[in-house]
Amino acid sequence: MTSTNAELPLKHVPGHIQHDGHNLTGFIIFLCSESIIFLAFFIGYALLKITSPEWLPDGVEGLETRMPLINTVILVSSSFVAYFAERYLHKENLLGFRAMWLLTMAMGSYFVYGQYVEWSELKFGLGSGVFGGTFYLLTGFHGLHVITGILLMGLMLARSFRPNNYAKGDMGVTAVSLFWHFVDVIWIILYVLIYVWQRTS
Amino acid sequence: MTLTNYDPRVLKAPHPVPGAPDNWKRFFSFNTDAKVIGIQYIGLSLLFLLLGGLLAMVMRGELITPPADLVDPSVYNGLYTMHGTVMLFLFLFPVLNGFNNLLIPTMIGAPDMAFPKLNAAAFWLVPVFAVVLLSSFFVPGGPASSGWWSYPPMSIQNPLGHFINGEFLWILAVAISGVSSIMGAVNFVTTIIRMRAPGMGYFRMPVFVWTAWAAQTLQLIGLPALTGGAIMLLFDLSFGTSFFKPEGGGDPVLYQHFFWFYSHPAVYVMVLPVFGIFSELITVYSRKPLFGYKFVALASFIITFLGLIVWVHHMFYTGTPQWMRNLFMITTMLIAVPTGVKVFAWLGTLWGGKIRLTTPMLFVLGGLVNFIFGGITGVMLGTVPIDIHVGNTYFVVAHFHYIIFNTIGFGVFAGIYHWFPKFTGRMYYEGLGKVHFTLTFIGATLNWLPLHWAGLYGMPRRVASYDPEFALWNVIASIGAFMLGVASIPFILNIVSSWARGAKAPANPWRAIGLEWLLPSPPPAENFEDDIPTVISEPYGYGLGKPLVEDEDFYIRRSMEA
Amino acid sequence: MNQKRFPVKLFLTILIATAIDLLASIQISRWAYGWLPIPASSAAPYVDDLFSLEVGIGAFIFIGCVGFIIWSVLFSRAEKYDESDGLPIEGNTKLEIIWTVIPFFVVMALAFYSIHVNETLATLGPKQKYDVAINQAPEAVATLDVTREVGPIEVISRQWSWEFIYPSGVRSSELHLPVNLRANFLLSSKDVIHSFYIPAFRLKQDIIPGSVISYSLTPTKEGRFRLRDAMFSGAYFSQNQTDVIVESEENYDAWLTRTAKRPMVKGLSPGTTLYEKRLKEGDRGWATVAPAPPPMVNDPGNPEAPHDS
Repeated sequence: MTSTNAELPLKHVPGHIQHDGHNLTGFIIFLCSESIIFLAFFIGYALLKITSPEWLPDGVEGLETRMPLINTVILVSSSFVAYFAERYLHKENLLGFRAMWLLTMAMGSYFVYGQYVEWSELKFGLGSGVFGGTFYLLTGFHGLHVITGILLMGLMLARSFRPNNYAKGDMGVTAVSLFWHFVDVIWIILYVLIYVWQRTS
Repeated sequence: MTLTNYDPRVLKAPHPVPGAPDNWKRFFSFNTDAKVIGIQYIGLSLLFLLLGGLLAMVMRGELITPPADLVDPSVYNGLYTMHGTVMLFLFLFPVLNGFNNLLIPTMIGAPDMAFPKLNAAAFWLVPVFAVVLLSSFFVPGGPASSGWWSYPPMSIQNPLGHFINGEFLWILAVAISGVSSIMGAVNFVTTIIRMRAPGMGYFRMPVFVWTAWAAQTLQLIGLPALTGGAIMLLFDLSFGTSFFKPEGGGDPVLYQHFFWFYSHPAVYVMVLPVFGIFSELITVYSRKPLFGYKFVALASFIITFLGLIVWVHHMFYTGTPQWMRNLFMITTMLIAVPTGVKVFAWLGTLWGGKIRLTTPMLFVLGGLVNFIFGGITGVMLGTVPIDIHVGNTYFVVAHFHYIIFNTIGFGVFAGIYHWFPKFTGRMYYEGLGKVHFTLTFIGATLNWLPLHWAGLYGMPRRVASYDPEFALWNVIASIGAFMLGVASIPFILNIVSSWARGAKAPANPWRAIGLEWLLPSPPPAENFEDDIPTVISEPYGYGLGKPLVEDEDFYIRRSMEA
Repeated sequence: MNQKRFPVKLFLTILIATAIDLLASIQISRWAYGWLPIPASSAAPYVDDLFSLEVGIGAFIFIGCVGFIIWSVLFSRAEKYDESDGLPIEGNTKLEIIWTVIPFFVVMALAFYSIHVNETLATLGPKQKYDVAINQAPEAVATLDVTREVGPIEVISRQWSWEFIYPSGVRSSELHLPVNLRANFLLSSKDVIHSFYIPAFRLKQDIIPGSVISYSLTPTKEGRFRLRDAMFSGAYFSQNQTDVIVESEENYDAWLTRTAKRPMVKGLSPGTTLYEKRLKEGDRGWATVAPAPPPMVNDPGNPEAPHDS
């Protein structure tokens, strides 16, 4: 294992390892982890709903589903709009991208507004037993993610005005788009768990 | 061109290079070099090992006599809660993240982690949640006092009614710790998947990298469940919800499911890297290949998978249905199989080896012996009828300390000694190391071996006072504990004085085979930088006569020129 | 050169070592019975047998592995200046498969034997947990064990006392039971999670607030045995202990009759005295809830009496 002749020709090609370009991998791993916290909340919610001796608080007979359904349609559609925005970006149509992106943000903001209106009209609070606690925890936590998504989209929109922003690729937009789709899927599950499956006893 | 540590360009670099003289300040700054961050994690965590140990000394002082005569029982409860919390969240998880930072990039040939700034941020969250946690000693009512599990309804009783109380700070600290850990986990996993040297396929990675990957995967899957449970607990404590309050329709046992879904895999997060350290060190100090490398590597992920489906074994008598207990007993028993594969592989590696009993090897062998014992008591605890008798007694305390300290702690010490020359550039004092080992092994055995019998005879855990028939076991245990306290002295002396004025370490003092040993001691800022070797063999090729990388002599010569 | 010569010496060494290991393990498994309290319930022998078996298997594995390590450390050491490598063995797939498959069968056998013991224990002591809504009476919810011969005895756990209420209305701080008769309990908690643990019976059941647990067991030995709260429940949790007095049926009936005539007094609650002392000394110490008031009972028990296990 000692040193040999310094003039021997080297057989290897100096290897390189990419320093950057791993952002999307890291973000996807992060999203998988994040989905587990929602999964944990869903399972806890379902178990409490099934096993609790008393579910609905006094004076509450259930949840209204019409307005939440409208909110759901708008939020889920916004995912398609975001997809179109990405398509425009791939074709380097910055105007189209910004328009669709802004529309996505508007639809997301409407969802948040609709959620706020629904909350203000509810007759139970956070402390209204397991029903109230789980409702506000789940919808609140999700709402926080929607707001985060809108803020991130705003950041991407602002960055799109920087010259040569997409020289190294558009991983930021891809990641935020992925996050938005994730938030949508979570909402669909939430909607089914909370509004479609209603326990009346 | 090869960059040495004493090259004037390096000495004047804006980001100081490890090992460069007069650069101790880099350890107190937001430095993005994984090797600096690694030492930051390890240094900070060892301070908290001392703090956790101090708390333990008071606890064992209380327990050396049957009555609660040293501190008030409410104080004892706060002390033991903080002892567990500090040891787990401020010592164990950070020290293992420290090893990950030092070893993952160097072992796979990468220049740094995939996300260096995220890496530094994850570290600096540790002092933040440390302050949050330790400040709870000074708020009215004292720190959290419901055990490191924090089971409701006990933990949400909030006797004094203040909004900011010990339990609140505890939950906040644990949540921040979770964020820091997830940041780290994303980093480690991305680095391992995307930044390996040319030629290093998955089955040419060192076992430490396998186990670190398996452990961090568990963090990614388990931590969010803990965070979810912690958020619900916080809401119950502070915002009037009733997730775990029966009077509101909630269920206290639900919390236990959330908690243990993470906290059981957490023990594998802690032990897997130590299994990796054992694999690395046994091969070097027996000068033999690892027996059954592929089985050992794959067993890491089998442990990951099984580790996620055993958590109810912490709840065998808390009101779970019979079918659930039987199911989880089977899965718990199963996890002994991949663990056994690793243990037998290590024994096979010892066979026909040229064993050298250096300090790291002593800690490995001592840790292995302790682990076999602890693993056996673990199987006993996984058996429902036995667990019903010994659960929540000192038998459990003895079992988990045998794993956490007598195995994992020993592994941490072994790793620190083994890689100390590589990352500090100094040799440690071998004699002092052997003194540390001897005192630690005897102290640890005296501390926890007798407590198995205390538990079998019915002494519950977490008590500040006990019936007189348990006195003998507790006296022996306390003597062992005080011995462990004393054992920290040679360790601290060794680390501090060796780093300050130990002999300069060569690149490969142990003549070990591995990419990190082809770097100078300490390695330059970007490790192999622009000339990363191509790996052409499996690891641990002792006695097989094959070089690890293409043009190995070139890299060896390069590492010695620093 | 005879290259296929059977390694007789090695084989004999392993055989003898294994035999010694086996004999030692069997002896240790017998000693294991002495590492447990007096077996005093119908469940105890099954638990003890299982424990002894696992100790034996564990001892066999431990002695075998540690013996091997010691042997290696003694006979496989590198000489002081010997820098050469050991035998270049990378593995042995057959051996690796063997030491995966055999442990798999051993642990599965243990698991299924344990399931069998579990089922036996369930038959000897049926138990069932019922969720109780906030204003419901536990008796309305719980379906009692029809195989019971004594009870239901209501067991109420508090921070930090035990209260036992017999069907005849007698209230006690100590649990009296007739020997060899199956007793049924209704376990409930008024505040946090407690645990009903009697080491001599090898039985433990956590008591969850918001539920009532119908729990049965059969004591098989007369004596005075400790009952300890085994789930951490706060400041004076260590003192939340009392005794179980198992006596002949005549003595038990006699105790019931004479206790019914006793006036109600404050029951056993060591936390109360300790907390009062703490308050008198300035309430120093960290936060704790005040102890629940001691239950009013006919028989406050005799905490100074020595216990058997």
